Amino acid sequence: MIELQEVAKNFGAVQAVRGVSFTIGTGQVVGLLGPNGAGKTTTIRMITGTLPPSRGRATVDGLHTIDQSRRVRSLLGYLPENAPLYGEMRVESYLVYRAGLFGMSGRSRRDAVQQAMERCRIADVSRRRVGHLSKGYRQRVGLAAALVHNPRVLILDEPTTGLDPSQIAETRSLIRDLAGDRTMLLVSHILPEVQRTCDRIIIFARGRVQADGRPAELIEGSGGGRRCVLEARTEDVAALTSRIKGLDSVSGTDLEEGDGAWRRWRIAAAPGSADPRAAIGEACLASGAVVRELRMESSSLEEFYIRTIEAADRRESEASA
Amino acid sequence: MTALLSITRREWAAYFRTSIGWVVIALYLLLCGIWMSASTIRPGEPATLRIFFTMSQALLLMVAPAISMKLVSEELRTGTIEPLMTSPVSDWHIIAGKYFGAVCFLLTMFAPTVLYAVLLEIIAEPDYGPILSGYLGLFLLGMLYVSVGLLMSAFTENQIVSFLGTLFFFLLLWFMTTQGAQYVGPPLDERLYALSPYTRIDDFAKGVIDTGHVVFFLAASTWFVVAAVVVLESRRWR
Repeated sequence: MIELQEVAKNFGAVQAVRGVSFTIGTGQVVGLLGPNGAGKTTTIRMITGTLPPSRGRATVDGLHTIDQSRRVRSLLGYLPENAPLYGEMRVESYLVYRAGLFGMSGRSRRDAVQQAMERCRIADVSRRRVGHLSKGYRQRVGLAAALVHNPRVLILDEPTTGLDPSQIAETRSLIRDLAGDRTMLLVSHILPEVQRTCDRIIIFARGRVQADGRPAELIEGSGGGRRCVLEARTEDVAALTSRIKGLDSVSGTDLEEGDGAWRRWRIAAAPGSADPRAAIGEACLASGAVVRELRMESSSLEEFYIRTIEAADRRESEASA
Repeated sequence: MTALLSITRREWAAYFRTSIGWVVIALYLLLCGIWMSASTIRPGEPATLRIFFTMSQALLLMVAPAISMKLVSEELRTGTIEPLMTSPVSDWHIIAGKYFGAVCFLLTMFAPTVLYAVLLEIIAEPDYGPILSGYLGLFLLGMLYVSVGLLMSAFTENQIVSFLGTLFFFLLLWFMTTQGAQYVGPPLDERLYALSPYTRIDDFAKGVIDTGHVVFFLAASTWFVVAAVVVLESRRWR
């Protein structure tokens, strides 16, 4: 549905996006993650046809985003960051106006507006001015405006920025409902939101795609998927560490300072291996160590994200050095 | 067509949803009303609206920048330009819709002044030829001024800069086509005089509809609207 081939965008000497390629299939819900300035919004703008790529090719449903821009835009529903709206308009009038921009008129327009208001749960504020609404409601009006023409592709840029926790929960549940029957690209800083909503995530940093895949697969594939935490007391810390490192089910260990004579090991399980706790326990017994704690710990998307961004930064500094 | 109408209607209605439309209309009608009662609706004065048209032309120098300053600037400042530019409407539709919305507002502002003609009819026997041509001239001048304001507004997201830029353009045009033309002398002065909307508009108030003048106002307005489209379009290529 959305295809980017080696797409790049330069603003003068600044390379905002540097050769990005990915394909998003029909009905997929994809999260676009990355720090500020990573190139996410520029990439979105190239997909929506607002910006032309400096090189490469972007298509939506096989249509070129620049040469066939108006046809592409008729397929898209787009909610920009901070949901810019006309504060002086009433909610219903605004949606009628938006539907008009997509060529709708008469009864079909009235029905589409009603449907969008019901889906986004804003029918109760239809007569209120947009500028008088809470931020959560304004966000939902922005979503309704993006949906009013029943687009096949929905692009949401930071849809929960600036909302309070209850508004975030409401908006997140709404996004999950909307995701059901259309291709969706969700740009966000909030990792749990992306993890819960999206089938797939693409991590951007330094204008490039740094990681792309299902959240669980990415975490697992990075070697940070499963870890054990061991807290033990032993006379010979080095011997125990090397014994644990030697286990087949272990791919690496980090030794941390503990409490008094107690030491703490973070032990990464080898990908595809069985639970390493039994083997670690036996290694402790063999070394004569006293174990206070041995438990499994799952790595989070947040840790994976931070590792990915740090690695991208490191590569960039090495390249420029 | 539906999209163009939607933008036009929204722009026109936006003047009345905020205070700017009401304030501009109130001040314009107040000043015109005072001027009319002080100079035209008096015993012994000719039953014409020439003084009203002269007054309106002067007021338009302030009114046009005030109503056009927000047309694109506000969209750029608030970010509402992004949903507009990602909907399937051309930049032509966006600019033309905004322009027609502002021109419709001008017509709404002029509409109550028809009462002056009714008043003249009650107390005297006015000649309707100069009145109709005067309104045509006023409308064409308004169209031109709004098109200049629209272009200025497409350049900046700051409404004050847009207002001042438009006003400065009018003053520069006035200077170039009066003092400037006298200073450069023949043969260039003739060309500068030909660019003056101020001299052309006088003929309309006298009851003369010169096709050349009509074409001048329509062509100049179109030029500024097209330039605004180009400026908006260039934002997609930055």
